[in-house]
Amino acid sequence: MPDYVMQTEDVAIHYGGVKAVDGVELTLQRGEIRGLIGPNGAGKSTVIDAITGRRPLTRGKVHLGGEDVSALGPVQRRRKGLSRSFQRTSIFEQMPVRKQVELASWKMGTADPGADADDVLHELSLDTLADTTAADLGYGQQRRLDLALALVGKPSVLLLDEPMAGLSVKESLDLAQHLKALTARRGVSVLLVEHDMDVVFGISDAVTVFELGRVIAAGSPAEVRRDPRVREAYLGSAA
Amino acid sequence: MTTTTLLASTVAALAVGAAAAFGIGSATALSLLTQAAIYALFATGVGLLLRQNGMVSFGHALWFGSSGYAVAILLQTHAVPAEVAVLLAIGGLALLAFVLALVIVRVPGVAFGMLTLAIGQMAFLTASRVRGLTGGADGMSLDWPATLFGASVSALTRPGPMLMVAWSALVLVLLALALLLRSRFGAITEAVRDNEERARFIGIRTMLPRAAVYALSAAVTATAGVLSALNTGFVSPESLHWSLSGVALMMVVVGGTRVLWGPALGAAIYFLAKDVLGDHAQHWMAIFGSALIVVIVFAPQGLSGILLRLAGKRRAAPAPDLHAHAETSHA
Repeated sequence: MPDYVMQTEDVAIHYGGVKAVDGVELTLQRGEIRGLIGPNGAGKSTVIDAITGRRPLTRGKVHLGGEDVSALGPVQRRRKGLSRSFQRTSIFEQMPVRKQVELASWKMGTADPGADADDVLHELSLDTLADTTAADLGYGQQRRLDLALALVGKPSVLLLDEPMAGLSVKESLDLAQHLKALTARRGVSVLLVEHDMDVVFGISDAVTVFELGRVIAAGSPAEVRRDPRVREAYLGSAA
Repeated sequence: MTTTTLLASTVAALAVGAAAAFGIGSATALSLLTQAAIYALFATGVGLLLRQNGMVSFGHALWFGSSGYAVAILLQTHAVPAEVAVLLAIGGLALLAFVLALVIVRVPGVAFGMLTLAIGQMAFLTASRVRGLTGGADGMSLDWPATLFGASVSALTRPGPMLMVAWSALVLVLLALALLLRSRFGAITEAVRDNEERARFIGIRTMLPRAAVYALSAAVTATAGVLSALNTGFVSPESLHWSLSGVALMMVVVGGTRVLWGPALGAAIYFLAKDVLGDHAQHWMAIFGSALIVVIVFAPQGLSGILLRLAGKRRAAPAPDLHAHAETSHA
């Protein structure tokens, strides 16, 4: 049994001559939160699409717990424990909160979808809103519901694409705390793409920095902050 | 609504139907109510497609008229008993609708509506021109046998019993749909309607549920078509015309689709308006059209949406302060 839960090996996605992602090696350890940062257009979301099977790989492999899942589709990868959230809130707007979370859990083959849904909603403090139609939720609550849909079925890896986008500072901190707590409780590993540096450096165990589709630095948050290439390419003098 | 409340409401609705069918003396009123019930079923089929798939059909008269023609042709050939003809017409058309839907539900938005319109009009023109089979523009009479499902057809088609049959069909179809849509099937179709990409990502195959809803909607509409053929004993190309699909769609818009009974409410309003306004204005449809615009602008969720909102407000309103009321009374 490998130490890592997810690993990419020389992953590349090219569109003709454009190398959106090229030769990316990423390893996610068990229970780790790894921040993935970089300027806009660096290829962060494309890497998530590559790992989850939403976009076909030009080259490379994706391993999940030692198994090569590169040939599997997004749904098969999800059933094997590789879950994700989307950059834009992706929920079922006209459905009540619990109904959609239970449906997602059932489709993941969970033995008791109702209990799984209640568990996830409780962890994300959405249990009091279980019967509310998703469209009637506040934006921050909708983002948490999005996360709840990704969390059902007890995934081992969670790829979060800018979960704090559009949230207020308070809502971001609130979601970050939930994220940190549930990672510890559920033992899930998180790859966090996020532009809010306070959140990324506040809750990540490790950080990987992207530029022009390639990894330019990786390490602990402190190491990454000190890296001159990162300061030059992304963080600037504010870091 | 719990299942017990749902079943109790169904029994109550059937009782109301029986009271109306056997309590109303006027044959004209009974006939109008029967037509309203049949069109309510038609509108329920169209509304189901909009509610569960978010798709607007401009050609659902295809299923309404085709079912009448299918029964008429089967009865004419004496190939199968009338009961089998009825079931074959509804089941066969549902199957055909499912196969057709596997292709057309892939087409999004307005293009889907235009496609349904084109297919419906194709059927209308075919029925109008294949004179040997359909009677052409003159239509064809249905050669019903003496008995149908053990009941005398002449007794069944009298105004009172016919209303009871149409009303019962409407109520039972609404009950069946309500129960079905409470199941996983309902949740799956809602998920696909709301967010197809997310639905796919949680493992839902999005095409089959959409096709199933379309087929179900066609089956409900075909049932209305068979009832209409039983009621009038006649079927003509007009039952396939796009304008009929338009009328059903108007009923859906007026009634709303937040609840399953919304389109049926729209049909009731339509027939009420037709009866009341029709007595006073030659162009009553112009008045109804104006009312439709008002509904679309000010109550996009239809009259059922307004009723639900009012009911919600009443439930949410604080209980009257009896003590204060008593003090006021004393004063």
